[in-house]
Amino acid sequence: MSDRYFISDADLRGLAADLLGAGTEVIAPVATDICQSPSAIAASACSLDHSLVDIDYRALGTADQLDLSRGLPQLSLKGYFLPEHEALCRWKQKGTTTEVIEVPTEFAPRVVLAAKACDAAALEVVDKVMNWDYEDELWNGRRAATTIVNLTCPMIDDSCFCTAVGAAPDDVKGADGLLTPVAGGYVYEPATDKGRALAEANKARFSGDVEADTLGREADDERAAARERVAANLEIDAASVRDWIDTHFEDPLLSQLAIRCNGCGACTSVCPTCHCFDIVDEQEGVGRGTRRRCWDTCQAPTFTLHASGHNPRDDQHVRYRQRINHKFAIYPLKFGEVLCTGCGRCTRVCHAGQDLVEILEAIDIAARRPGDDADPAADEPAEAAS
Amino acid sequence: MTEPIYTGVDDLRRIARELLEAGDVRVIIGWEHARRGARPVFVSDPAETDKLIFDTRCVHNLVTYLNPRRDAVAEFGKIGLVVKGCDVKAVAGLLREAQLTRDDVVLIGVRCGGVLEENELPAALALTPENVAPRCYGCDNREPTLTDHLVGEPQPEPPRPVMTIDERVAVLDGQPLEERWAFWTDQFSKCVRCYACRQVCPLCICERCIVEKTQPQWIESSSHPRGNFSWNITRAVHLAGRCVDCGECERFCPVGIPLSLLNRKLQHIVRDRYEYTVSDDPENAAPIGDYRLDDQQEFIK
Repeated sequence: MSDRYFISDADLRGLAADLLGAGTEVIAPVATDICQSPSAIAASACSLDHSLVDIDYRALGTADQLDLSRGLPQLSLKGYFLPEHEALCRWKQKGTTTEVIEVPTEFAPRVVLAAKACDAAALEVVDKVMNWDYEDELWNGRRAATTIVNLTCPMIDDSCFCTAVGAAPDDVKGADGLLTPVAGGYVYEPATDKGRALAEANKARFSGDVEADTLGREADDERAAARERVAANLEIDAASVRDWIDTHFEDPLLSQLAIRCNGCGACTSVCPTCHCFDIVDEQEGVGRGTRRRCWDTCQAPTFTLHASGHNPRDDQHVRYRQRINHKFAIYPLKFGEVLCTGCGRCTRVCHAGQDLVEILEAIDIAARRPGDDADPAADEPAEAAS
Repeated sequence: MTEPIYTGVDDLRRIARELLEAGDVRVIIGWEHARRGARPVFVSDPAETDKLIFDTRCVHNLVTYLNPRRDAVAEFGKIGLVVKGCDVKAVAGLLREAQLTRDDVVLIGVRCGGVLEENELPAALALTPENVAPRCYGCDNREPTLTDHLVGEPQPEPPRPVMTIDERVAVLDGQPLEERWAFWTDQFSKCVRCYACRQVCPLCICERCIVEKTQPQWIESSSHPRGNFSWNITRAVHLAGRCVDCGECERFCPVGIPLSLLNRKLQHIVRDRYEYTVSDDPENAAPIGDYRLDDQQEFIK
């Protein structure tokens, strides 16, 4: 039996204020003007429709910036754990001596409030690769320093499909606790020691008497309804999708599904699970510089360009296939988890109309179809050519 | 008043079918209706030409698929491309820069009276000042001349948007330097360096983009202010006088940087300094690829 707390609307903002007051960084959804500029010119030069706002995860300046309207932030939480760019070390060079200056790998405690389940779950999925052959100290340091509290998601739109890839709108995977809206506030369910410690350390803001048949049931109903809504968007058998992709590397379906892709890489930027990075050395004057890692994208030709000039993924449909393959076959086969949490951002951000819901549906249908050559053995993954 | 669905769709489908049946082209690239609205479609079966649509949601500049780097598209064979008047200017750009020969493509022009700013809609909408793509205002190519076929009735001028791009540029121009700097610093700080702006641009055709050069590294790939300013300004300047104002860079930007303001400002500069306006005449060389003895050069000190 998990412990449950009630926290009122006012107390949730109060909690954010208390944390900020104590000097803890609080990251949460914040509504931003579409141009995000404080100056008046941005309002007139940039926003055609002044009611348009984006939501982004931001470090709160004040507690009242916290946006609990439950829209989907433009970018996922990824950047708070794997920043768009970060220094790995700095160097100084004098004559033949080089001094390497390490960067800190320990971070001050911080709290994420009202995270989306898909964004928190993505962190746990990516934990696997970040601790596989090499333990990524910067990633792990930020993970250890952060307490994440999810807010049950009502479902954003028909491009949401978390339930089809093993996640859920009320998941606590990758998070330390879950808030579910009920009358007058939220039911808080801690999921880890960090989640329990948050409630313990801020006792005044939480009340412990959540009755199972009133508020408790309301929260349960809200969670079940959210799951049902998302499930109606897409239902696939992730295991057969994985096996089909693994055994149909050259299948024309994969290039057909990719043909309109422009290779812009926006999908990988907004993706909560895409984690590939490039390492660059930036000279910063004579004899000193910074080694950085920056987000990279498998959709760019240079991602696989060899020094010889050869490029094993020399065309866009091949690069798109790689993205699908990595997420739904390679990663699950290696780490046992789909490298996708169904947030749907890639679909929403794609102005060429690449639609992952449609693509997974098409692969799922292909995976269920008996072999075209009428040879039942061809359906067996081990038998098919790869 | 613009109707949401343009005339000539039947002719468009018929011409597409005939071209495919006759083997004159191997694929027609146009627009279709999909789950999330209008999007590009590749039709190679004559029986599927009824998929083609043309309405106010057809905002995409499909000329980006003619980019010579796109081998998978080239593998289809000869392309029949559906183009609006603005898109044709990008074809002229490719011809002008010897990226394409006129016989490589059959152009099916559609008479257009403007498109929506937002194409991801279940059905087309009639254009209003609130929803029209601001770049459509003042369109000077509603009767394209470079096309092989032209379908639909002549269309009225697109509505004037609530605020035109020129007006928005003028607001910025009216600000003191520090405020303009603050504006662009703010905008560029959002850049995640995905290069979507480059990838969708029909005229970003460099075999190897300068931002990908590492020895030496001219432009830092980190998304810090230095790297972001270098990238965004270089992109815009390399398109000065070449940009056809299709707005795809801004539309694809996942973080909403108003690149059309920058592009338009550069158009003004090119117009004022070189008396050059981009058109669908491939013979009309752009200043960046043209040298004349009377070019202004007082900036060379």
